[in-house]
Amino acid sequence: MSLRVGIAGAGLLGRLCAWRLALAGHRVQLFEAGNLHQSQAAAVTAAGMIAPLAELADSEPLIHQLGQHSLALWPQWLAQLSQPVAYAQTGSIVVAHPQDRSLLVEFNRRVHHQLNTLSDNQRSPTTLNGEQLRELEPQLAGFNHALLLPSEAHLDNRALMAQLLIELKHLGVDIYGNSSVDVAPQRVGENTVDWALDCRGVGAKGSLPGLRGQRGELMEIECKEVQISRPVRCLHPRYKLYLVPKPHNRYVLGATEIESEDRSAISLRSQWELTSALYALNPAFAEARILASRVNLRPAFTDHRPRLEVMPGLVRLNGLYRHGYLLAPAMVEAMLYQLDIHRAPLTPSQEEISHHAVAAD
Amino acid sequence: MDHLTLYGEQFNARLLLGSALYPSPQIMLDSLAASGTEWVTLSLRRQNPAHAQGDSFWQLLRDSGCKLLPNTAGCTSASEAVNLAEMSRELFDTPWIKLEVIGDDYNLQPCPFGLVAAAQTLIERGFKVLPYTTDDLVLARKLLDVGCQALMPWGAPIGTGLGLMNPYNLRTLRDRLPDTPLIIDAGLGAPSHAAHAMEMGFDAVLLNSAVARACDPVAMARAFALAVSAGRTAYCAGIMAPSQTASPSTPTLGQPLLAMPQ
Repeated sequence: MSLRVGIAGAGLLGRLCAWRLALAGHRVQLFEAGNLHQSQAAAVTAAGMIAPLAELADSEPLIHQLGQHSLALWPQWLAQLSQPVAYAQTGSIVVAHPQDRSLLVEFNRRVHHQLNTLSDNQRSPTTLNGEQLRELEPQLAGFNHALLLPSEAHLDNRALMAQLLIELKHLGVDIYGNSSVDVAPQRVGENTVDWALDCRGVGAKGSLPGLRGQRGELMEIECKEVQISRPVRCLHPRYKLYLVPKPHNRYVLGATEIESEDRSAISLRSQWELTSALYALNPAFAEARILASRVNLRPAFTDHRPRLEVMPGLVRLNGLYRHGYLLAPAMVEAMLYQLDIHRAPLTPSQEEISHHAVAAD
Repeated sequence: MDHLTLYGEQFNARLLLGSALYPSPQIMLDSLAASGTEWVTLSLRRQNPAHAQGDSFWQLLRDSGCKLLPNTAGCTSASEAVNLAEMSRELFDTPWIKLEVIGDDYNLQPCPFGLVAAAQTLIERGFKVLPYTTDDLVLARKLLDVGCQALMPWGAPIGTGLGLMNPYNLRTLRDRLPDTPLIIDAGLGAPSHAAHAMEMGFDAVLLNSAVARACDPVAMARAFALAVSAGRTAYCAGIMAPSQTASPSTPTLGQPLLAMPQ
């Protein structure tokens, strides 16, 4: 039976939900409060890392498990796009400067601690000396100790967001930009549907108690002199820095985590911290060109867990925090299960984030 | 009851916690509860406080039931710190301020000159200033001279987890300023460091990284609460003086058997 589904929010979740539903033959309407082509979605600001192992150092095992599930789904889903989007699963690198080496030890300790609680020793980080690091990334010259997190992936997130819009148009999804809509069971805006999906991110703040936005700032640079092929995290006592390669010599450099819902432009201090940390990775970055700086709000619940709030005729998907690309496929699959479209049983972690609520009024 | 008195107000808890670096706000709230703290510090510098856009996070802290202690982390001059203190007094309706004026970017060492200048201005404007300072006695005296009624000397640089780096200086502070509430702030890593500080007679400890960066922050908060309580109880109980000569706790003189045959 073909369902009518209305989706509010055309960020990563909204677009993925619409795409998977339309591919399965359902009739989908997608509403976006902002501009569709110059999206305000957090997913456009993001770096597009799928790093379940690295997240273990700072997040609970649930995030890792959902991420592993997404990591298995991404290649299958991306293969169904009519135009390819850059995706590489070649692992990621963690480095620290010699004076901060204790942070690398600490990072490794935390990941191992969490893997032990999961009884999983298959995917442990690999310790690299300087020579081994240079075999993988010749231009990370100043480091004698590093970790390789095998099997981690990254994708060209901005290309994916644009391509998903094209796929939706091909599949006949009705897409409405600049349309802020209310969401209620079986209703999106003025439209009656079988299922309403609320994918509005921070825009759903009024409907989901405890949801907040956390400011993140990042920069996009172009540098032809330095070739780095894997995402690199540089551990520093005070800054969080990662560098994610993108096609055409571009890199995304991120990201601050500031407890504020301030969307104003990147601060001088944040830009200075990010760029000076980058310069320390390889001084040749000094001649990189700054293409853009971006600021957005990560939608997060207090426990930093994602949530599917399910009631008859309505599913709200939210709280992906800094884990959009890591969690989205696993979340979307859990949504398809609630709509009785995906029939295979959910994983325990997908069950854990699905909350059944009774419809209010 | 064994109270901690700061600026004439009495508090029960001798452990103060920071609100940064936790894996999630929920884990932070659970850690605050597990620690039994009455105070939580918060930093405003990067949150665009003029527009109150950190309010979602601040509301969580208010809901924790703890007293908020805004700090001036990230300020490197007295005027910056004074401005931020004024802003936080307005936002949180509190005269309390943990004053930080940083003099060195790498080890976040307090700048003594900026600190005294900012403390003087803030005291004059009616703030209750808790200055984050080094373990220097002369600096401590200057801060008291300008009107501070409690001090927060460091154990070690912020976030290092090295414990009490200079016990001689800290003991000097304690001995020479017996009536000033002294809170060891920064540098503690293990609960034993906190117990040590309390055994030395410091009035309280303030922590953040040691709890927030633990693999299980909630359990670590509990561990620190126990250590602080143990150290304080021991200090009040009077710790025996170390001695070079062994003295048996059970006299053996006159016992019929020194060793029982097995």
